[in-house]
Amino acid sequence: MSFDITLILDSLPKMLSGIGLTFQLLILSGVLGLLLAFVLLLMRLTEKWYFSVPAQVFIYVFRGTPILVQIFIIYYGLPQFEAIRESIFWPILREPFGCAILALTLNTGAYVSEILRGAVLAVDRGLLEAGSALGLSRNQRFIYITSPLAIRLGIPPYSNDVISLLKSTALASTITIFDMMGIARTIVAETYAPYEIFISLAIIYMIFTFFIQKGFGYFENFMSRHVKK
Amino acid sequence: MEAITGWWDDYFFASIVVLKIFMASLLLMVIFGLIGAAAKLSNSIIAKKIANAYTIIFRGTPEILVVLLIYFGSAIALTSLFQLFDPSIKYVDVPPFWAGTFAIALIVGSYATETFRGAFLGVEPGSIEAARALGLSNLQTFVYIRIPEMWRIALPSFGNHMLSLVKDTALISIIGLNELLFVAEQATATTGKPFTMFIVVGLIYLGISTVITLFVMGLEAYGRSHLRAAK
Repeated sequence: MSFDITLILDSLPKMLSGIGLTFQLLILSGVLGLLLAFVLLLMRLTEKWYFSVPAQVFIYVFRGTPILVQIFIIYYGLPQFEAIRESIFWPILREPFGCAILALTLNTGAYVSEILRGAVLAVDRGLLEAGSALGLSRNQRFIYITSPLAIRLGIPPYSNDVISLLKSTALASTITIFDMMGIARTIVAETYAPYEIFISLAIIYMIFTFFIQKGFGYFENFMSRHVKK
Repeated sequence: MEAITGWWDDYFFASIVVLKIFMASLLLMVIFGLIGAAAKLSNSIIAKKIANAYTIIFRGTPEILVVLLIYFGSAIALTSLFQLFDPSIKYVDVPPFWAGTFAIALIVGSYATETFRGAFLGVEPGSIEAARALGLSNLQTFVYIRIPEMWRIALPSFGNHMLSLVKDTALISIIGLNELLFVAEQATATTGKPFTMFIVVGLIYLGISTVITLFVMGLEAYGRSHLRAAK
């Protein structure tokens, strides 16, 4: 067993060529997931059961099953139905990339909406009472009082979820997507050098995690600038 | 749904495999978490550094990468180790069950490290002082004061770690273990009904997660029972 440095140097550029795909997966499903999470949050905050119950069921199902199973159901499972193969969504669902985006979006949406809900519920009640005493309407209270405070409270758990999402994008390699993980698996299959390849890839992922953490740290500081001395 | 009739027994045995992985990895996860937390709380700088590296590495790397690295990596390491004694050995096969169990326990153990550490630091200092004032020994303080407070603090996060473990078992199908996703793939190949087969997997996982969630909720209620007002 030896550690082959030249192999690492050879395969690093190959693996990094998948960086674009990893980022596309991360950013597209991150943004779409955040939108979905916001819709789910609004559905849960209404007092109407026909909005809040479906949202709760959705969150329960997507948080209670492994993301890999969700990816497989969408990628391998959905084409079982004639209706889906003939629908307008077929061009997206036919491609592994579309399926990966859909699965990651639904999954992260469910998790993030719970984070947002926790943040909204953590906003001090007294501030909302003060708002209504000042004559602000319900929507104004939500926009001017709840949202800015909830965003700040939600940043630390949200950054953890973005990191989870980054790690989940690696699962896209199981449905023939050649992101960094997919490329690394091909190289390992060819060279049978798991240590060199996988450890260097792990370091790449850790660097991304580090930057995501730092980035959100700055954002949190920025959002809490009024509490600084 | 008729397509599934011949496959119930396969799903059943695969669920047993998932539960076995869950039990084994839960035990290992608690051990890794406790060692990690002890190292982080210790006075030794080296132990702290190692524990910090452990949590950073396993929280920043995709789970699938850890599973693959440990499976293929341990096969290579063991092969070269055995070749020292018997050069005729060509290849040592590592059972995917144990490689996978070890991998997911390491991953979730890194999260559990923080939970256990937080629980230890979360013990009310007043309780410890009261125990000292009552003349309890260190061991008595630990057993009667710290542990009852700690498990109540750790329980909500610990429940989430258990759910993560269950969900991570799905990754072990990638290294060829005969578990739920593996069965679903075989069943799909014979019946041509992928949606039905994978949905069953999803429902089984949902069932296991639900049982764990209810169990944790029950434990939390039990943990609060002393706070209930007398009737």
